[in-house]
Amino acid sequence: MIVLALALTVAVLYAAGTYLLFQRNLSRIVIGLALLTHGANLLLLLAGGRAGRPPIVGAEGGPAADPVPQALALTAIVITFGSTAFLLALAYRSWLLTRSDEVEDDVEDVRIATMTALREREAEEEIVVDEEAS
Amino acid sequence: MTPLLPVIVPFGAAAISLALGRRHALRRSLGVLALVANLVASVLLLQEVRDGSVVTVVVGDWPAPIGISVVVDLFSAIMLSVASLMLLAVFVYAIGSSRTDDTTLFFHPVYLLLASGVSASFVTGDLFNLFVAFEMTLVCSYVLITLGGSKPQVRHGTTYVVISLLASTLFVTAVGLVYAATGTVNMADLAVKLQAIDPALREALSVLFLVVFGIKAAIFPLFFWLPDSYPTAAAPVTAIFAGLLTKVGVYAIVRSQTLLFSQDTHSTLLLATAALTMTVGVLGAIAQDDVKRILSFHIVSQIGYMIFGLGLFTVAGLAATVFYVVHHILIKTTLFMVGGLIEERTGTAALRRLGGMLHTSPFLAALFLIPALSLAGVPPLSGFVAKLTLIQSGLEVGAYMTVSVALFVSILTLFSMTKIWAGVFWGAPEAPPPMPEGLESSRPRFPPLMVGSTAALVAASLLFVVAAAPLYQLGQRAAEFLFEPAQYVEAVLGP
Amino acid sequence: MIAVLAVHAVVALACAALGRRLGRHVLLVGALAPASSLVWLATGPSPTEKISWLPAVGLDLELRLDGFGTLMVALVGGIGVLVFLYAWHYFGERPRLVLFTSYLVGFAGAMFGVVVADNLLVLYLFWELTSIASYLLIGFEDEEGVARSAALQALLVTTLGGLAMLAGLVMLAQSAGTYSLSGLLGGPPTGPTVAPALVLVLLGAFTKSAQFPFHFWLPGAMTAPTPVSAYLHSATMVKAGIYLVARLAPAFAGLHEWWRPLVCGVGVVTMIWSGWRATFQTDLKLILAQGTVSQLGFIMALVGLGLPEATFAGVAMILAHAVFKAALFMVAGIVDHEAGTRDIRRLGDLGRSMPVAAAVAVVAAASMVGLPPLLGFVTKETALASLLSEAGWPATIAVAAGSILTTAYALRFLAGGFTRYATDDREIVVDEAHSPAAGFVAGPVLLAIVTIVAGVFPRLVDGLVAGAAGALGSEGHHLALWHGFNVPLLLSAAAIAGGWLLWRYPPRAVQEAAARLPRAKMVYASAIVALNRIADRVTSIVQNGSLPIYLGVIVATAVIGPGVILTRAFRLPESLIIAENSIQAVTALLVCVAAIGTANVKRRLGAVLFLSAVGYGVAVLFVIQGAPDLALTQMLIETLTLGLFVLVLHHLPTHFENIGWRLRQASRLILSILTGVTAGAFALWAAASRQAAPLSGEYLTRSQPEGGGANVVNVILTDFRAYDTLGEITVLTVVALGAAALILTGRGRSEVPHNDEELVGQKGGDDR
Repeated sequence: MIVLALALTVAVLYAAGTYLLFQRNLSRIVIGLALLTHGANLLLLLAGGRAGRPPIVGAEGGPAADPVPQALALTAIVITFGSTAFLLALAYRSWLLTRSDEVEDDVEDVRIATMTALREREAEEEIVVDEEAS
Repeated sequence: MTPLLPVIVPFGAAAISLALGRRHALRRSLGVLALVANLVASVLLLQEVRDGSVVTVVVGDWPAPIGISVVVDLFSAIMLSVASLMLLAVFVYAIGSSRTDDTTLFFHPVYLLLASGVSASFVTGDLFNLFVAFEMTLVCSYVLITLGGSKPQVRHGTTYVVISLLASTLFVTAVGLVYAATGTVNMADLAVKLQAIDPALREALSVLFLVVFGIKAAIFPLFFWLPDSYPTAAAPVTAIFAGLLTKVGVYAIVRSQTLLFSQDTHSTLLLATAALTMTVGVLGAIAQDDVKRILSFHIVSQIGYMIFGLGLFTVAGLAATVFYVVHHILIKTTLFMVGGLIEERTGTAALRRLGGMLHTSPFLAALFLIPALSLAGVPPLSGFVAKLTLIQSGLEVGAYMTVSVALFVSILTLFSMTKIWAGVFWGAPEAPPPMPEGLESSRPRFPPLMVGSTAALVAASLLFVVAAAPLYQLGQRAAEFLFEPAQYVEAVLGP
Repeated sequence: MIAVLAVHAVVALACAALGRRLGRHVLLVGALAPASSLVWLATGPSPTEKISWLPAVGLDLELRLDGFGTLMVALVGGIGVLVFLYAWHYFGERPRLVLFTSYLVGFAGAMFGVVVADNLLVLYLFWELTSIASYLLIGFEDEEGVARSAALQALLVTTLGGLAMLAGLVMLAQSAGTYSLSGLLGGPPTGPTVAPALVLVLLGAFTKSAQFPFHFWLPGAMTAPTPVSAYLHSATMVKAGIYLVARLAPAFAGLHEWWRPLVCGVGVVTMIWSGWRATFQTDLKLILAQGTVSQLGFIMALVGLGLPEATFAGVAMILAHAVFKAALFMVAGIVDHEAGTRDIRRLGDLGRSMPVAAAVAVVAAASMVGLPPLLGFVTKETALASLLSEAGWPATIAVAAGSILTTAYALRFLAGGFTRYATDDREIVVDEAHSPAAGFVAGPVLLAIVTIVAGVFPRLVDGLVAGAAGALGSEGHHLALWHGFNVPLLLSAAAIAGGWLLWRYPPRAVQEAAARLPRAKMVYASAIVALNRIADRVTSIVQNGSLPIYLGVIVATAVIGPGVILTRAFRLPESLIIAENSIQAVTALLVCVAAIGTANVKRRLGAVLFLSAVGYGVAVLFVIQGAPDLALTQMLIETLTLGLFVLVLHHLPTHFENIGWRLRQASRLILSILTGVTAGAFALWAAASRQAAPLSGEYLTRSQPEGGGANVVNVILTDFRAYDTLGEITVLTVVALGAAALILTGRGRSEVPHNDEELVGQKGGDDR
C-alpha cells in the first residue's frame, strides 16, 4: 500500500526546491536546498512503508512503523542542518566582504570566455616556426 | 586487525589536537605521529587482505544487516594505503608552508578529521554510513577550502558548498529509494536483495547512483564545481583535495557498479562518459593560463581514464582502473605540491607572470618535469604503465573509439604540460612577480619540509615504476575480487 | 646493454647534479656515455639481455643486439663522441651547459635503447624518450620564442605519431601473441587488425623520420644549437623511423600489397619535395636540414621495399648519410661560430680563412652528391642498382630526379658558404673569419677521412654493412667502389650534370611559384590555432562560471538519466491509497501550498516564514507516519534554522533583488516540474517493488533485551547505528569550528589578496 498524498508532497517539494536553485540570489538558493532536504527526508520516511504506531516496544495500537528510515532521516536532518548552517556562515561572510547577496560568475571563467580573440592572436604569433624568415 | 583503525586513529588525534590548543609544536608532532600510525595500519591491513580475504567487522558487535558493517577488501586496502601516504606527505608539506595557517586553531584537527572521513568512506559496508562518511569529509573540506576567508575563497566556497549540498540531497534521495525497494542499506545485503527487484528500477537506481557519485568524482557533465573551487584554496589543501576527494567518488562508483549493480553493466554509457570527461577536461586545461587551474582541469580529464577502465567491464580493464587511480593520486598530489612551491617562491601561479625557473630553481624544475611527464603518459613513468594497461584492455575488447580518444587526449595533456613548462620554467617572466606583502619575511624561499615531502612523493612515483609488477598484480587481484561480489557478500553476511 | 643504458643514466644525472663546477668541461664527462657504448661494442657482448619488469602486460626489458643494431650503435656512439668533443669547442662558458650535457646524454641513451630494444613496448619507451630529450634540446635557448615553438612543434608531431604507433604496436602484439620484436618478425601475424595496426606504426615512423607531410618539424628543429643538429640529423632521432621500417619491411612488405607503394611513394615524394625546397634556401643550416629530409625520403624508399638488395643499399646509405651529414652540420656550425652568420647572401670567400673546414665541406658534400671515390658514391651506386633491379624504372627515375636536386643544393651550400660566387641576391659582407681551433675541426676532419677511406676501401666497412643487412634477411651483398660502366653510373652522371645546370641557372619563376604552395606547417599552425579556439569555445560554454547553470545541469542530468528509464518502465502501483486519513491529506496539501509560496514570494522574510511552515508541516506528517522522535527533531532543527536565517537575512534588503536570470523562466519551470514528477514517480515505483521484508522486525525484537531501550529509534541511533551518530556529531562540531573561524576572522585579513586572482583579473582587463 502506497500513500499518494505523501508522494505528491515529495514531488511538490522537489519541484519548488529545484525552481529556487536556478538563480543568483544566494538566499533563494539556500531556501531551495532546504525545501529539497525536506522532500528527501519525507521520501526516506515514505520508503519505510505505511504509517504505523510509533516504534516503541510495548506500545499498543496496531503494527509499528519501520524505525530504520526514521533513524536515518533523523541523522540526515541533523547533518544537512550542519551544512546549511555553514553555508549561512559563508553567506554572512560574503555579505561582510561584498555587501551583496548575488552569486557572481566565476572571475577566471569569465576572463577565459572573453579573452578568446586576444589569445588567438597571441597563439598565431607563437606557433609558426618560420625558419626561412631569418 | 580491526579495519576501523584508519578511521579511529586520525579521529582520536583530531580530538587531542583540538584539546592541545595553541601548543603548536606538540600538535604538529601529534599529527605526524597519527598519520604515520594511520599509514602503518593501512599497510598492515593491505598485507592482511592481499591474498583475497575480506576483513569485516560490525560496529558494536551486532550481526551484519542490523549494525553497520565495516569491510576491507583488497580494493579498499589499496585505496586506504595510498590515501594515508598522501595524507602524511601533505601534512608535512603543510607544516612547512607559509600559506596554510597551520598555526590557526583549526587546521590540524579539521585536516585529521578529513583523513578520518576519507578512511571511513573506503571501509564502510553500509550505504547510509557512506553518506555519513562523505558528509564528514565534505564539511571538513568546506572548512579547509575557505580557510582564511578571502573574497575569492568565499565566492568559490559558496559554489562548492551549494553543489555539495545538492549532491548530498540527491544521495539521501537515492538511499531512500533503495530502502523503499529493498528495506536495507547494508551493501552486502543490498547486493542480494537488489537482484530480486524490477530490473528496470534497478537500472534507474544504478544511473541515479552514478550521477550522485559522479558529482563527487567530477565526471562530465557534473564537474564544473571543481576547477572553480580548488585553485583558490591554500596549496596543501588543494593538493590533498586533488589527490583524494574525487577519488573517493571514483571509489564509490567502482564499488556500487561492481557490488550493487553488477548485473546491469552500463558499458556504453560509461565509455561515452569517459570519453567526454577526458576530452572536455583537457580542453578546459588548454584554455587556462594559471598553473593551478590547468592542473585542476586535468583532474577532470584523468577521471575519464578511470571511468574508461571500469566501463570495459573486464578484469584487465578494472585492474587498469585500480592501477590508474593509485598512480593518479600520487602524481596529482605531487603536481599540486609543486604548484604550491612555485607560488611559495614567486607569489603567483599565473603563467604570464612566471618564467625562467629552470635556471633559477633547477631542482624544482625536475620535481615538476617527472610527474608532469608521468601525467601525460610518457614512458617509463607511472602514467605510461597505467595508460598502457588501459589501452591494452581497451583494444582487447575492440573499444577503438574510446582508445583513440584516450590516446589523443594524452597528447593534449602533454601539450598543456609543455605550456606550464614553457611558461614557468623556460623563457623570461613578463614582469618580475612582486611578492605579496607579508611573505617577504625571513622564511627560506624553499622551505625544506615542503621540498622534502614533494621530493619524497616524486621518489615514490619512481618507485611505483620499478615495482610495477607487484603493484599491478595487486590491482589485478583487486579487480578479480570486485567482479566476485559473492565473496564480499559471504564475508559480511556469512555463508 | 643494460650496463650501457645505466652508464648513460648515471652520467646524465651526475652531470646535472655535480657538473657545474667543471664549467664547459662537463661536456667531456658527457662524452664518456656514448664512448661507453663503443667500448661495450668492442668487447663482443652477449647478444641478448632481459630483465623482467611487468610481464603481465608484456612489458619486459628485453634487449637484443644483432648486426643492424651493431651498425646503429656504432653510429650513435661514434658520432655521439664526436658531437660532444665538437660541442666542447662550440660553447663558451655558460652555467646551463650542465643541462645541455644531461639532455644530450639522455638523448644518446634513448637512441641506444631504440636500436637494441627487442620488446615492442620497450622500443616505444625509448622512442618517446628521444622525443622528450629532443624537445628539451631544441628548446635549449629557451628565452627565444622560436626555440620554444620549434621544440613544441617537434614534440607534438613526433608524439602524435608515437601514440598512433603505440596503438599499432599493441594491436600487432595482440594479433601475434607476443610483445617480442624478434618474435613478431619471426612469425608475422595475420588477421583483420594487422593492416590498420601497420598503418598506425608507419605513422609513427613517418613522423619520426620527417617524411612528407610530417617533415616540417625537422627544419624547424635546426633552431637547436648546432651540435644537437649535427647529432639529431645524422645518427639519432630521424634515423629511428628508418630503423623501424627497415626492421618491419622484410616481414610485412610482401604480405600487404599496399605497403610498397605507400612507403616508397612517401619516401620519393619526401625526397623530391624537400630536395627542391633546399635548392633555394639562404641559410646554410636550413639547406642542410631540408637536405636531410630529402635524404631520409631516399633511404625510406629503399628500406621500405623490404627486398634484399634494396635493404642492403638502404643500410649502406644510413651509414654514409650519418657520416657526411654530421660533418656538414659541424662545418656549418663552425662557419656560424667564426663568421657570425649562416646567411649565404652575406657570407663570402671563407675558403681562405678556414681552408680545413672548407675542405671537409667539399668532401662531405661530394659524398652526398655521390662523387667517386667517396663513401657516398659507393652507396648511391648500390642504391640505384638495387632500385633498378628490384623496384623498376619509375622508382629509379624518381630517385635520379631527386639526385639532381641533391647536387643542386650541395653546390649552393658550397658556393654560398665558401666562395665569392656571385648571384643577383648576394651582398657579400663577411669575407673573413677567425680560423677555427684545431680541436674544433678535428671531428669534421675525422668524418671526412672516414668518408674518403671507406670510399676507397669499401671492404673496411663492408663487414659492418653486410652484417647489418644480414640481420634484415639480406645476404650475399657487398660494397664495391667500382661496378663498371653501367646504368646507375650513367644516371649518377646525368644527375650531377642536371644538378649543376639547376644550380647555375635556377628557374626563379618556378621557385617563387613553389614557395607560394600551401605548406604542411601551415596546416599544423592552423590545427594548433583551431585547438586553442575549440578549447576556449568549449570551455566558455561548459565552464561558464555561473552557479545557477551548474545546478541546472546537475539537476537535469539526475532527472534525465533515471527519468528516461522511468518513462519506459513506470507503472502506477496497484495498491495505491490517496491518504492514510484526512488529517494527513490536509497537512500534505498545506505543505504543498507553503512550498509553492516559498518559491514565489518576493520578500526575503516571507520566503523564510513559508519555509518554516513547510518544515513544521513536514513534522506533522512525521507524527502521522508514526515518527514522533523524528518530528521533534524536525521542529527543533526548523526553529534553529529559522533563527539562523533571520540572523543572516536581517542584514540583507527585504526584497530579493531583481538579478538577471541566466536561465529562461520557461526552462526553469519545466525543469523544476520534471524534477518533482520524477522524484514522486520514482518514489512510488520503488516503494511498490519491495520484495523482501524489512529488518524492522529484527530491530523491534532486539531493541529491549539487547539494546536496553524501549524506543527503537533511539536504540538504533545510540546503539545499532551509533557509528553514524558519531559521524553526525563530528559534522556538527566541524561546522561549529568552521563557522566560528569564518565569522570571527576580521575583515582586515581578507584585504590581502590570497592569490593574485584579482591582480590577474585587472591585468586581463587592461589587455582588453
